[in-house]
Amino acid sequence: MWTEKYRPRTLDEIVDQDEIVSRLKSFVKAKNVPHCIFAGPPGTGKTTAALCLAHDLYGENYREYIMELNASDERGINVIRETVKTFARTKPIGEVTFKLLILDEADNMTDDAQQALRRTMERYSETARFILIANYSGKIIEPIQSRCAPFRFTYLPDEAIAKRIRYICEKEHVEVMDDGVEAILELSEGDLRKTLNILQTAASIGKPITADLVYAVVGKANPADVREMMLTALNGDFISARNKLRELTRKYGLTGTDIIRQIHSEVFRLNVPDSWKVKLADMVGEIDYRLVRGATEEIQLSALLAKLVEAGYEIKKSVK
Amino acid sequence: MSSTLSYVPWTLKYKPKSLSEIIGNDDAKEKIINWIQSWNKGIPEKRALFIYGPPGVGKTATAEALANDFKMELVMSDASTYRTEETVKRFAGRASQFGSIFGRRKLIVFDEVDGITGSADTGGLSEIIKVIENTRTPVILIANDAYDPRFASLRNLCLLVEFKRLSVTEVMKHLSRICAKEGISAEEKALRFIAERSNGDVRSAILDLQALAQGKSKLTYEDVSWLAQRDRKEEIFNVLRTIFYAKSATSAKNAVNMADIDLDMLFEWIYENVPYHIKNPSELAAAMDALSKADIYRGMLKETGDWSFLRYIIDLMTAGVAFSWSRKAAGWVPFKFPERIKVASATKEERKILEEIGRRIGKKCHLSTSRSIVEVLPYLRIILLNNPKMGKRIAKWLNLDEEMVSYITKMA
Repeated sequence: MWTEKYRPRTLDEIVDQDEIVSRLKSFVKAKNVPHCIFAGPPGTGKTTAALCLAHDLYGENYREYIMELNASDERGINVIRETVKTFARTKPIGEVTFKLLILDEADNMTDDAQQALRRTMERYSETARFILIANYSGKIIEPIQSRCAPFRFTYLPDEAIAKRIRYICEKEHVEVMDDGVEAILELSEGDLRKTLNILQTAASIGKPITADLVYAVVGKANPADVREMMLTALNGDFISARNKLRELTRKYGLTGTDIIRQIHSEVFRLNVPDSWKVKLADMVGEIDYRLVRGATEEIQLSALLAKLVEAGYEIKKSVK
Repeated sequence: MSSTLSYVPWTLKYKPKSLSEIIGNDDAKEKIINWIQSWNKGIPEKRALFIYGPPGVGKTATAEALANDFKMELVMSDASTYRTEETVKRFAGRASQFGSIFGRRKLIVFDEVDGITGSADTGGLSEIIKVIENTRTPVILIANDAYDPRFASLRNLCLLVEFKRLSVTEVMKHLSRICAKEGISAEEKALRFIAERSNGDVRSAILDLQALAQGKSKLTYEDVSWLAQRDRKEEIFNVLRTIFYAKSATSAKNAVNMADIDLDMLFEWIYENVPYHIKNPSELAAAMDALSKADIYRGMLKETGDWSFLRYIIDLMTAGVAFSWSRKAAGWVPFKFPERIKVASATKEERKILEEIGRRIGKKCHLSTSRSIVEVLPYLRIILLNNPKMGKRIAKWLNLDEEMVSYITKMA
């Protein structure tokens, strides 16, 4: 996959995160790395930066010195306790006296797991340094934050992404039109991973990449979207909305949290009176809260859809 | 086969023509044959036969086959005709006194005697008694229960013959005979299943067989096993009806005890059917809110293992739903099988594959399983569909096997 093929291997290959790169390079030079938090939106190079740092620090065989965990997959306290401890307590052989533990999506860890992690970080800090990767650093508990050097990743500027698109197209012998580049930029919203996935998929069709082709590809990738489901509910058709919900979760594997997040961001883009936007956001929040406590995501999300049906009905009444 | 022919019920098509074709109840048949033959030596002591037994065991068929075997003219009356004193007299009076115009003996049959009601069929029973007392030709009465108090004086005049429920083997024998004639090769297990659930009622077994097997050349166990679900459904429908249209909060709550249904299962049934019955937006939102709250208590129960939460779950999923709406039926609305269960059971395996695919993508692309499924998989699918060469290369690099690749391409 192009996301991997064109993932920078060394810190030097990283473009447009100059300040972050220079700080990381200074760690390499000193052969010392503090615990770090890499925070920022998806597709901005957080994981890449961590891997490049490891590469530059340990050399080609860097994989022997690092451990990569994804908190979303293994967020239990036990994983932190056992796996991380086992990895963290032994000293590596070589110039660098510590191992590197890269914990991706750390903001998905429960508070309990984070507390356990905090103690592990303190206890083994001589033999292991942690890089916590998160979309929101605010979701990392305060005691961990205060022990980490913060790095703030921001969206890459469009020009940088456009440059990357053209560079890859040249390497892959793919013809890309200007409007095609524009369309990819618009749809990928500063997320480089998404950019490359769209680009590779569009290229796989075997035609020059135009805006139409890009929209067609992305349209196919997201046939039933959250917004459509919401509009269906607001128009009063609960049964169809619920079917769309089922499609999103079953066919496309979206989790309840994914969906509720998207619903929330759509609320303020809806064509409804502003006073209703606030009410709708409150409903979404209520269901988000219940989602955490409830046993079944679909039941909770369906309850939200029913609320939207009711809201749509009320809005129509108030407009008339 | 023409379409009209194919609608002939097999119970008619394969109705026994001779007593030898009637399966089971051999003692009863022997008794009947002896009785009918005794008419050759003059009028016997008991001029009437009272055949009784559960439905579908061949009582009427026996009377008809008897007439056929002994070349008698069948004169039959059943509950579909009124049996007042007048009509009985008209129907059986003359027949019981004279032979038929072709010189054949008549056989008078009163079928479904239980169906003679006090008010509509005034005097019917006592007129039947009169007919029996004076008849010069054999009379047969048929009923489910000969010991109904109304039949007390009738019973004394009759020779009682009991028909018993057929054994599973006997029903199966009949079914396999029909299958042979229809050119259907049926698994023994399938026929056994139909026979067992017929509870000795061969008529219902034949109707089930026709519904399941007509037009097929093979009948497997899978073809028939869904019948069990159908039986179950009726039970669940009753519970749902009681809940959705409850007269009181207590009756809604008590509905959960009406049938032996797993509560989680019942929850799914209610959840599935709420929007089909409750259409008003505010009522729908309230009903779904009740289920949402019930679900929270379900979550609490699961988390704490504290079963005292169960009472709130039941309150909300039954009375909570019932009293969120007016409970006025908008015409007849059928209940639907829960989609979640259907899909969940069908796709448990698929879900496993999907997760494994996500895990393997995540490993290579430094992503969590769920984000791999959401962010990468849709694009991979399009690549596999449009550019199999590139797609296969990527799949290989991701360590996806054949099964996974074909799963992805079929997802669309």
